[in-house]
Amino acid sequence: MTTAKVPAKAQSSNNLVGFLVGLAVVVVLAFVARWLKIQVYGANLPLGIPGKALEYPLWAALVGLIVNYILKTVNVYDFMKSGFRTELFLKVGLVLLGAGISFKVIVTAAAGAIVQALIMVTAVYFFCWWLSGKFGLPDTLRAVMSTAISICGVSAAIAAAGSVLAKKEEITYVTALVIVTALPLMVIAPLLAGLMGLPEPIAGAWFGGNVDTTAAVVGAGTIYGKTAQQIASIVKQTQNALIGVVAFLLALYFSVVVEGKKERPSAAVIWQRFPKFVLGFIVTSLLFTFGLIAKDPGAAIAAMKDWAFCLAFVCMGLELSAGQIKKMGWNPIIVYLIVTVFNTILALIVSYLIFGWLFPAKL
Amino acid sequence: MNVKINEDWLAVIIAFALLILAVVGVITPAWMMF
Repeated sequence: MTTAKVPAKAQSSNNLVGFLVGLAVVVVLAFVARWLKIQVYGANLPLGIPGKALEYPLWAALVGLIVNYILKTVNVYDFMKSGFRTELFLKVGLVLLGAGISFKVIVTAAAGAIVQALIMVTAVYFFCWWLSGKFGLPDTLRAVMSTAISICGVSAAIAAAGSVLAKKEEITYVTALVIVTALPLMVIAPLLAGLMGLPEPIAGAWFGGNVDTTAAVVGAGTIYGKTAQQIASIVKQTQNALIGVVAFLLALYFSVVVEGKKERPSAAVIWQRFPKFVLGFIVTSLLFTFGLIAKDPGAAIAAMKDWAFCLAFVCMGLELSAGQIKKMGWNPIIVYLIVTVFNTILALIVSYLIFGWLFPAKL
Repeated sequence: MNVKINEDWLAVIIAFALLILAVVGVITPAWMMF
């Protein structure tokens, strides 16, 4: 096979065009999702489902999935995938979300969220690590999967992979598993919460502790209600803040125990991996709490937050890569599904005890 | 020159730029209606 060398400048301008085209596709799909939401909102659907139960995260992820399939079929997906930025849009939305939440609520919810995060991350991490060992998975895959499922899906998987020098296929594999399970959970979890009659703060805490990726947590909260969205975001961000600590401990374990090296990884990784957008979320909440954001700008910021989340949900559908899952066989899938069920049940019990009894969030 | 910026900080910069535009009235609720 012969390969033609593409000049760096041409390659770079091609990348920029691909990024802009991808971004344009995401924006158009967000408008389509919003249009679908408006069409269905006032309607009564079959089985007595009210149209307003189908919020925009569902439509955004759905149109993203459909266009994902089309783009891959006509072979243009790779050209424009650099414009699909789930994490970036999500983080912008979360910082803007802070501008509508009183700092008192964050402090109240964060107390419960810290206790919940410590219980959930420890229990789910070690259960996944133990179970994946029983199924004979390699240590690097065990570390990436355990971190992804116990903390926060995609970004935690990447952080853990950096600490344990996991293979690229292991990251893409776990990332695909995270999205494949998170998308249905985003819709099923609010339905189950509704059937159980969970109050919004408890439901939000449950989504935050149970759904694997932050985008789907926000989506589930949005579907359930405004308070659920706020509590789910606070709980998930508290959990995300532990990424650095887990990445450091993993690097230490793999370096000293697995590889037998004498030098220790630096604790600076705790700050390097800390999700800095959380600081932006806290500052915007302080601006709101001190009355620096008036009613009209507040409404504009809330609408921009919804747009940012909608773009993130579209990208989540666009970024799904189910083909990766077939490559590694059934064992990792079985482990992931068992741990997801364990995570779901434990998160329900823990969030009920913490947000219903120990630290009830009053909004 | 190739400048690389952490995605977290980029998100914070974009969000604050949007927030400032809303506070000074450049972006209005009607314009952004979701």
